[in-house]
Amino acid sequence: MTMLKREDWQDLARDVEWDYSYVDDEAVFPDWQSGTGKVPREAWAKWEESYKVTYPEYVANQHGKETSAYAVKAAMQRSKAFENLDEGWKSSTKMHFGGVTLVEFMGQIGELRMARFGLNGGWRNMAVFGALDEARHTQITMFTGHEFVSRDPQYDWTQKAFQTNDWAAIALRSLFDGMIAAPNVVDLAIQLPLMFETGFTNLQFVALAADALGAGDINFANMISSIQTDEARHAQQGGPTLEILMEHDPVRAQWVVDKYFWLSARAFSALTGPGMDYYTPVGERTQSYREFMEEWIIDQFGRTLRDYGLKRPWYWDDFMAGLDVWHHSLHLGFWFWRPTVWWKPVAGVGKAERAWLQDKYPNWETIYGPKWDTIIANINSGQIEKTLPATLPWLCNTCHLPNCNPTFGRDGRWRARNWPLTHNGVTYHFCSNVCRQIWWEDRDGLNNPTVVERFLAGEIQPMDVPGILAWMGITPDVAGDDGHQYAWAAEYLPAQPAAATGA
Amino acid sequence: MTTHDDHTPAPQHTAPYLIPLNAVFDDDFLEILVPVMSNNTIAELAGAVAQHVEGVRVPARDAEKVVFFDGRLLAPDLTVAEAGITPLDHVRVDYAS
Repeated sequence: MTMLKREDWQDLARDVEWDYSYVDDEAVFPDWQSGTGKVPREAWAKWEESYKVTYPEYVANQHGKETSAYAVKAAMQRSKAFENLDEGWKSSTKMHFGGVTLVEFMGQIGELRMARFGLNGGWRNMAVFGALDEARHTQITMFTGHEFVSRDPQYDWTQKAFQTNDWAAIALRSLFDGMIAAPNVVDLAIQLPLMFETGFTNLQFVALAADALGAGDINFANMISSIQTDEARHAQQGGPTLEILMEHDPVRAQWVVDKYFWLSARAFSALTGPGMDYYTPVGERTQSYREFMEEWIIDQFGRTLRDYGLKRPWYWDDFMAGLDVWHHSLHLGFWFWRPTVWWKPVAGVGKAERAWLQDKYPNWETIYGPKWDTIIANINSGQIEKTLPATLPWLCNTCHLPNCNPTFGRDGRWRARNWPLTHNGVTYHFCSNVCRQIWWEDRDGLNNPTVVERFLAGEIQPMDVPGILAWMGITPDVAGDDGHQYAWAAEYLPAQPAAATGA
Repeated sequence: MTTHDDHTPAPQHTAPYLIPLNAVFDDDFLEILVPVMSNNTIAELAGAVAQHVEGVRVPARDAEKVVFFDGRLLAPDLTVAEAGITPLDHVRVDYAS
């Protein structure tokens, strides 16, 4: 039997729709799930993906990718490459495994929601492929991380992290609840495939792949490069959705884009920034985090958004200023509160690293130099206990990351500023004016309590550091510690006079 | 058993209570949670905040510490309650010079 050519049948099959006899359209596509809002229902008929794929093609492509990715993994499993990796790089991967694996699973739920409630048959069809993609991403990431559990129990958090009350996991869950689980699918298609996947996963999957190769971690580079090839396809669901929304409700489109550009940037400054500028050995770094953001996010993705007719977000100056601050502060926070994380943060502030940081970030020494010098002095005088936390950092009610964004003010100083808001008799504190503005707009929606709020409500007992760690699921064998056992601080010790020789 | 004259209001014996604060010290890079008691003095509040930061992340200086709350510089001998500080408020502790 002769097979029809794809172009002879795909137009008929890719966007199958039919009229309902027993229910009306609103029952099948309720607005709270489907989210057409001010967009006329019929406007979605012109939704069209730019890159089309059939199911046989999809299966053949994915089979090829899986075969190739798992072949490289099997080969690397027999090598000694893992033993030779620096702890800084290993910790980048531990962050990734714990922070990303079950987010991929959550991505699958988002794709399935679009596959059910998407307002065009072609969209729903694409989302089915997206759901299959995300299942593959969850599996390959978990399988890759699992391989190392026997050598280092922190890799167990590949599967565990997202299911604990660890503060970083709560921050991620809060972000993805708002991005994937809670919204209607029109907002979801813009928030996840467009903002997060098209805009930002390049950071994690392209930049980190380059750094992985530099660090000698072929296995990891292989895994994330394989994942990224899928992202490029299913992420295109955002474009046609945004186009239609811009035509009928540009105010809503701009708000959704602005909100998730900011929240994604906050998350990636935690997830990717420390890995690029501190954990990757200085000789292996391809670009600074800021340089990468400028090239991939500000230039390339910014052009994409302009092409859709969107304006720059209202907070652009705050975002640009944050590129010099956010991830440096989060890195210092991860290091200082290291018992609360499932990796071993390396300090990354030896003399050579500091020269690199100062070159890339001209204010680095002014803002962070005295703090690290104080920490170094405590390490070198044997007072490690003074480098460990005795209280909680205050966590932002919107992004759930610590309020740690110093800004340069009219007082001529770089300082952490307070951004409070009192609503219904409760005072909330935010990391920035922008997170405060987002919270106010969304105040009646999803608002997860922060770890600080849970602590003050008595959910965490006993109310001390061991109690907090236990509540977060951190056990002594996985609690983070300095990745290089403080050896890096020794180069700051005063030079000892040469020992006298001879009798 | 004691009784009160009908014309004299009963004394208010409010027991000291916990006040969790959002606090920042000098040029530290982040805000932290610091619990104080309502009957702590402002000087004691400054010490409670400083112990988490001074000589820990911010170089220690031999200088007096002052507390700012709601744009006001607070007298060191006031109590936290007298200063009007309530749970979840923000305070900034600085070196005086």
